[in-house]
Amino acid sequence: MSIKDEFTKGFWEVLPPFRLVLGLCPVLAVTTTGINGMGMGLATTFVLVFSNLFVSLLRRFIPNQVRIASFIVIIASFVVIVELVMQAYFYPLFKILGIFIPLIVVNCIILGRAEAFASKNGPIASLADGLGIGLGFTISLFVLGSIRELLGSGTLLEIPVMWSSFEPFAFMLKPPGAFVALGLLLALMNLITQVQARKGGVS
Amino acid sequence: MRDILKMITVLTLIGAASGMALSIIYEATKAPIEYQTIKFIKEPAVKKVLTGYDNDPILDRKKITIGEDERGRPIELIIFPAKKAGKTFAVALEGKGKGFAGLIGVMVGVSKDGKLLDIGITSHSETPGIGSRVAEASFTEKFKGLKAEAGVKIDSISGATYSSKGVIAAVNQAIGYVNNFKKEIF
Repeated sequence: MSIKDEFTKGFWEVLPPFRLVLGLCPVLAVTTTGINGMGMGLATTFVLVFSNLFVSLLRRFIPNQVRIASFIVIIASFVVIVELVMQAYFYPLFKILGIFIPLIVVNCIILGRAEAFASKNGPIASLADGLGIGLGFTISLFVLGSIRELLGSGTLLEIPVMWSSFEPFAFMLKPPGAFVALGLLLALMNLITQVQARKGGVS
Repeated sequence: MRDILKMITVLTLIGAASGMALSIIYEATKAPIEYQTIKFIKEPAVKKVLTGYDNDPILDRKKITIGEDERGRPIELIIFPAKKAGKTFAVALEGKGKGFAGLIGVMVGVSKDGKLLDIGITSHSETPGIGSRVAEASFTEKFKGLKAEAGVKIDSISGATYSSKGVIAAVNQAIGYVNNFKKEIF
C-alpha cells in the first residue's frame, strides 16, 4: 500500500469506531456535543500519531518479549503530555472530558495500531497511518456528537439551529441515546457499503 | 542471559527518557495550569465579591504564608487584591468551614476599612436543594456591609443550619486571616 492509502484507509475502510468497533468507551461517553467529540478525537489523534512514530522508530531496539510494556510506556507518556497541555491551555474542555483523557492510555485503537502497524512498518507509513486513523476517529466522534447535540439540545456547534417550538430530545444526551445514535450510524454505513458493492458488481 | 540484559536495558532507557520528557513538560505547564485553575474556579467568585477595581485581581494575586502544617511546610493563602490607581482598597480571599457534608469554600471580599463587601461560595458538597441554598444570593447578601471582626453572626437558613454555620465559619476564618496578617495583605 502506498503512503496515501495508509492515510486514507482510516476514513472509511478501517474507520475506527464504526468499522473496527474499537475504542467505544470515549465514543459513547463524551459525544454529547460536536465540540466535545472533536476535542476528544484530536487528543486521541495526537497520542496516536506520536506513539506510532516512536514505536516505529524504536521497533528494531525493542525485544519482542517486552514490546507491549514498552508500547504502553510510550503511549502513557504522550497521554500525560496531552493531559498537562490541555489543562494548561484548554481548561473548560479538560473539565468536560475529565477522566476520559487519562483513559486514552487504554484505548485499544492506539495499542492496536502500535502492535499491528507501527511495530512492523517504517516511521513515515506509521505517521500516515496514525494521522489517518486519528482523523477518522475525530470525524466519527464529531459526527456522532453533532447528531446527539442536534437532537438532544437543538444546537449545532453550540448555536441554536432548530425551529422555536422544537422540543429537545433529552434522551439523546443520555448514555442509552449514544448507543441508539451509534447503531443508526452503523446501519447507515452498512447500507452505503451494500449499495456501493451492488453498483460495483461485487457481492 | 543476553536477552534478559537487553530487555532490562531497553525498558530502563524508555522509562528514563519518558520520565525526563514528562518532568520537563510538567515544569513548563505548571504556571499556566495554576493560572487556569484559579481563573475558572476562583475568578467567578472573585469578580462577584469585588467591584470598582481597574486591575486584574487574578494576575495580581499574591501568596502569603500563614503558618506551618504538621510537617513544617508553609501553608499559603492566596490573596486577590482589588486596586484603583495602583492602590489596594479591598481584597478577596478564601476561607473554609465545615458544613453538613465536607468543607465549604467561601470567597470573602474585605475592604481596607474593615467591612465585608460580599461573599461567594467557591466549592461545597451540601445536599442539593437543601444545604445548597447557602449559595443563593438571599443568604450571601446578609453578609454585605458587616464589620469584618471576629465572630460574625447571621441567622441560619431554617433546615440548613449546618450548611449556614459552615459558611459563617468560613467567613470568620477569612476575617481572622485579614485581621492577623493585615500588614502583609494590604
